Amino acid sequence: MNFNLFDAEEQVIERAQALEARLTALAPEVGAELAELVDGFKRSYREQRRLVRVSDRLQGQLATANQEAERRRREAEDALERLREAQDVLVQQEKLASLGALVAGVAHEINTPVGIAVSCASHLSDATARLTAMVEKGELGRGDFNRYLATATDTTALILANCERAAQLINSFKQVAVDRASAERRGFDLRAYVQETLLSLQPNLKRGNHTVTVDCPPGLMVEGYPGALSQILTNLVMNSLTHGYGDGRAGRLRIAVTQPDPETVCLTYADDGAGIPPGNLPHVFEPFFTTRRGEGGSGLGLHIVHNLAVGPLKGSITVESPPGQGAAFALTFPRVAPG
Amino acid sequence: MATERLTIPATPRTPEIDFDFASGRLALRGESYPDDVATLFGPVVAALREHLAEPSDAPLHVAIELVYFNSSSAKVLMTIFQLLEAAARQGRPVTVDWYCDPDDETMREFGEDFSEDLEHVAFSLREAADRDS
Ligand SMILES: Nc1ncnc2c1ncn2[C@@H]1O[C@H](COP(=O)(O)OP(=O)(O)OP(=O)(O)O)[C@@H](O)[C@H]1O
Ligand SMILES: [Mg+2]
Repeated sequence: MNFNLFDAEEQVIERAQALEARLTALAPEVGAELAELVDGFKRSYREQRRLVRVSDRLQGQLATANQEAERRRREAEDALERLREAQDVLVQQEKLASLGALVAGVAHEINTPVGIAVSCASHLSDATARLTAMVEKGELGRGDFNRYLATATDTTALILANCERAAQLINSFKQVAVDRASAERRGFDLRAYVQETLLSLQPNLKRGNHTVTVDCPPGLMVEGYPGALSQILTNLVMNSLTHGYGDGRAGRLRIAVTQPDPETVCLTYADDGAGIPPGNLPHVFEPFFTTRRGEGGSGLGLHIVHNLAVGPLKGSITVESPPGQGAAFALTFPRVAPG
Repeated sequence: MATERLTIPATPRTPEIDFDFASGRLALRGESYPDDVATLFGPVVAALREHLAEPSDAPLHVAIELVYFNSSSAKVLMTIFQLLEAAARQGRPVTVDWYCDPDDETMREFGEDFSEDLEHVAFSLREAADRDS
């Protein structure tokens, strides 16, 4: 069966035409007038057909456009998703690469004291074997024995010092791996906490007559990891004392806290010491970068600071050191640590 | 005295309308999906009606060059075509040129469709590039 959308209209037209024929036979003037009306209706019927076609076409085009838009939106979303995945992979690779560099650095650093300890121990072992042989042969003289004692004293001192150095390195290496899970999260008053941290550094500060000014809005509550913050401050202060005022000068340290917006905290730490040469600035946060190698510097301090800033604090840290104006660090982090 | 020339500049939703009755050239160009058909086309249809009411045998050239129109605009076009057909039936020479892009199947079909009721008007489908500007 053929479906006709305009079946009803066509039937009306047929009936009207039949009526027109009958009426024209009966009353020709009326018939002519009716014929005009029938023509009008026929035209209107054709227009209706056309309009339905126009609107069907338009809706079809709209639907196609919508589908196209939807397809593009999905494509864009897919692309974004792939980009995110690629980014995750990159971040992961970078983490691995920096872990690799760290491990290589640690191995290299520890190799020196361990190597010295090993050669001292083998030297001591050789000397002991010679001594034993002489005792067995009954040939041990007083001079031999004294020489052995001198060797043993020297080598054990060296072994001890180098093992301690290795242990110390391992200890600072452990700190690099900031254990976020064990770090305590809580709310704290930032100004009070900064002052508390400085109090624990007082003995060191007093010794060099250094002063610290703290400029922090009272009652600023931070929700996050106070332990990380205090470790950062301690590292920065100790660096100023070791690297900034090596000449015994009394330093003026400044800590200032501002809030660029209510949910962001910006802590700047500045000293007026020797400063960092421009060539060293890009490297200070790298693991094992130190200008005091062999004098107790491991070069891990600022690396730990950086890890704490971007890790638990979910923020960032930058360094500046305009020639002649000391070193300044800007630590920015969300007032409420996410997650 | 009837309107000599009616011009309405195009907007993003309405076509350029240039009905130059004095020279017998009427043109509609662009897209047509006005927010309110009555406000836009009311005066246009009224001016055409008024112009055609005065008997004349001066030729009338109508150019339609629409790339898109909505259903209400389609109804207005059919009204205009009917007025033109009535005038042509009275003996006035009327030509309608329906311009459309060669790739625009839809507009060409609409042109064919709309010319169905034109008997006395000389209707022709033209490619948009042919237009002598
Ligand atoms: N306040 C400062 N003033 C001048 N130089 C600094 C300052 N802070 C850091 N530096 C420079 O940056 C280098 C890296 O600092 P970092 O704390 O990482 O290592 P370190 O202090 O040398 O060793 P560690 O902290 O592991 O004992 C330092 O060796 C020093 O050259
Ligand atoms: Mg340090």
